[in-house]
Amino acid sequence: MKILVALKRVADPDNANKVKIPASGEKIDTTGLEWKPNPFDEYALEAALRLTENGTQPKVRAGEVVVVTFGPKETETTLRAALATGADRAIRVDASDDKLDGDLVARALKALVEKEKPDVVLMGKQAVDGDSNQVGQILAELLDWPMATFAATIREEAGALLVGREVDGGVSTLRVKLPAVVTVDLRIVAPTSVYSTKTPSTHKYNDGVRFAALPAIMAAKKKPLVEVKLADLAPDQALKVSYHGFAAPPARKAGIKVKDVSELVSKLKNEAKVL
Amino acid sequence: MPSAPTNPLVSDRFIDFLLFEVLDLEGLLALPDFAEHTRETVGIYLGTARRLARELLFPAYKPMDEAPPRLENGRVRVHRAMHDIYPRLVELGVLSATRPPEAYGQRLPLTVASLATSYLMAANLSAYGYLGLTTGAARLLESFGSDELKERFMGPLYRGEWTGTMALTEPQAGSSLSDVETRATPTAEGHYLVKGSKIFISGGDHDLTENIVHLTLARIDGAPPGIKGISLFAIPKNRPERGGLVPNDVEVAGVIHKIGWRGLPSLALNFGEAGDCHGYLVGEPHRGISYMFQMMNEARLMIGMNGAATASVAFHESLEYAKTRPQGRRLGDKDPRAPQIPIIEHADVRRMLLRQKAITWGSLALLGLAARLSDLAEHAREEASRARAAMLLDLLTPIAKSFPAERGFESNTLAVQVLGGYGYTSEYLPEAWLRDQKLNSIHEGTTGIQSLDLLGRKVPAAGGAAFGALLEEIAATCDGARDAGVNPDLVQRVEGAAMAMRQITLHLGSLGAQGDVRGMLLHSADYLDLASTMVIGWTWLRLAAAAQKNRADRPQDHDFYEGITSAAQYWIRTELPRVGYLAQLCRSGEDSYDRVRPEWF
Repeated sequence: MKILVALKRVADPDNANKVKIPASGEKIDTTGLEWKPNPFDEYALEAALRLTENGTQPKVRAGEVVVVTFGPKETETTLRAALATGADRAIRVDASDDKLDGDLVARALKALVEKEKPDVVLMGKQAVDGDSNQVGQILAELLDWPMATFAATIREEAGALLVGREVDGGVSTLRVKLPAVVTVDLRIVAPTSVYSTKTPSTHKYNDGVRFAALPAIMAAKKKPLVEVKLADLAPDQALKVSYHGFAAPPARKAGIKVKDVSELVSKLKNEAKVL
Repeated sequence: MPSAPTNPLVSDRFIDFLLFEVLDLEGLLALPDFAEHTRETVGIYLGTARRLARELLFPAYKPMDEAPPRLENGRVRVHRAMHDIYPRLVELGVLSATRPPEAYGQRLPLTVASLATSYLMAANLSAYGYLGLTTGAARLLESFGSDELKERFMGPLYRGEWTGTMALTEPQAGSSLSDVETRATPTAEGHYLVKGSKIFISGGDHDLTENIVHLTLARIDGAPPGIKGISLFAIPKNRPERGGLVPNDVEVAGVIHKIGWRGLPSLALNFGEAGDCHGYLVGEPHRGISYMFQMMNEARLMIGMNGAATASVAFHESLEYAKTRPQGRRLGDKDPRAPQIPIIEHADVRRMLLRQKAITWGSLALLGLAARLSDLAEHAREEASRARAAMLLDLLTPIAKSFPAERGFESNTLAVQVLGGYGYTSEYLPEAWLRDQKLNSIHEGTTGIQSLDLLGRKVPAAGGAAFGALLEEIAATCDGARDAGVNPDLVQRVEGAAMAMRQITLHLGSLGAQGDVRGMLLHSADYLDLASTMVIGWTWLRLAAAAQKNRADRPQDHDFYEGITSAAQYWIRTELPRVGYLAQLCRSGEDSYDRVRPEWF
């Protein structure tokens, strides 16, 4: 199986207080931010690796995992780290963070998919910076491929994937024929979430994503990482989404004590307007 | 789902500052031996170590402290969390990270490897202990073993299939290794039959791997008495024979109950009770102690890093607590209706935090510096650079081992103090780290031994050449700090303290030269304190100079650099003045504890 995994790097969510918005409010100031791969995309990579191996022998690859990201030169570190955890090849689409939107990324990915011809495109259900939750869905539409979003489990079958999605009130299970687009949720990296046809159903993975070991980091330096121009994938680079302003959330105000229940009810009704 | 704890264990920004703004990692990576490495590979490795430490090792720390290994039917069973942790640490590549490819490694600079390891130690020092000991044992075989021994034992150790120990101590021979009594009798087949008892053997038995190799000191029958009659042997728990492993007559005599490092068993072992314990000589007969000494620097730096890491994790825990625990109001605020303020708003709490930071980060920086010297001693281009680095490393090692342990203990008590009543409960972690830290001033050479090593051996070595080189380094740092625009008062104070250290060192050296060994070494503990306080002051000045140099380029790191400058000022203004006092004490010949007789107590 050949899988294309789309990875985005995001400002380190653990250091969210470093995100600064200039007074003009027209953009986010990214100087000095630390970057990390979007966690949901890391989970997608882990799912892709599990689908292209026998879990009892993870060093033997059975299939191909290609990782792709959009961004400036320094985003290659994100790709290199992905190669060190087991991906086979990497593609960086040269682009500037503030000249992309979900639509453009999806259109460029479509062109890439037509070139690479993967059986599956995997990505996180959303990126934790913009929380847009768009690219997977738009891409599936553009390709006219079946899609499963928010995957919590994936089981490979002949020519299809059985995808479990956690929904309100239970689990919805979809069988998607390949090729397909799947976006993943948090629980996809639980020990028994993903099985390729080669992995015995008794096998349990380590909880979470696999990490880059030192020997693999050194070996990853020799794996192919190519740069592609955005214009070659998407000649029309017009954005459909434009940002009109950024503002930090209002600082939390100190609470007050109410005298009695009726004052509480009155405030909930008239000030908070939640009743 | 493992979630990142709020305690970062070690500050990422500070480690990056050390590597790229203080220790010139780029310069190290430019050396031919490190050609395979780039800033990117180093970054990915550090990222993995941080993640494993936070997500895998740290959550297992408290459970492992609470349920130490048990002896069952003569064998030790360790906490089940270790069964998950051990293979993943092996896979990470820590065992052989700094070794060349022929020893299964990637030749990572020790500067990177040791700072990456600080996270693992801060997260769970016992868990890392199994691997640290294994690397140590494999290193001895790599350096001194025959090709056959390497094949047989070093490979499985570096690959993590087996673990290793250092079996030196005996009940009657701890610090005094010359009194080792374990015997080794040669046989016609080439191996020796070993008989004797060892104690305090960390990782001496467990159920993580099928075999354990004990690097053991013993006397060959008829060997000369004392230190020159001790040989080094590799003694496996199970010996390779007939294509399999057979028990090698190594028995667990007991498990030692420790106040700290509880996740790592410390054992009493008996070799050869049934007369069937095979030992394999490593290197030449009677050279065991000298082999051990050649490995000592690395082992001592590792303990120093354990000390720094254990102080670091407690510092961060108490810092987080102080920021979030509301208690009391500002001095002078008499309004009882005003909300309480977080305790970090109280100056005395900030004093305790800044003191912890000065000790902890000063220790991490000194260990980073020592690791860099070790890299240069082995890999610098020119012989002169290698020799100078080796000399400085030898001199600084007793300080880098003992300061993080001794002052780290003080730092750990401050972390407990910041938590107030909660600090002395076992519901909170700082008391556990305090217990762990105490071991670090004892194992791998007590602080007393370190003080004698420094003043009696390292300072006078080669006519005081290393000491002279240290003074040159301090002077260069002072010049650099002045040029960078560091507060001149701080620079002068470091220069003044260095002068005081120079004078007392010359004085004590002259006593030694006149044959007055007692007079020279009477205050060795005070001298170690003096030299350590001075070296940490020098280190902080170095950090302050780097901060001063880079702050204009990185306005977004304003708070970080202010934090460096504040801690430097704190140490240099409040601790460095002790150098003058300690120098007087060393010179005074004050003899209360020399004169006092055992019966007077």
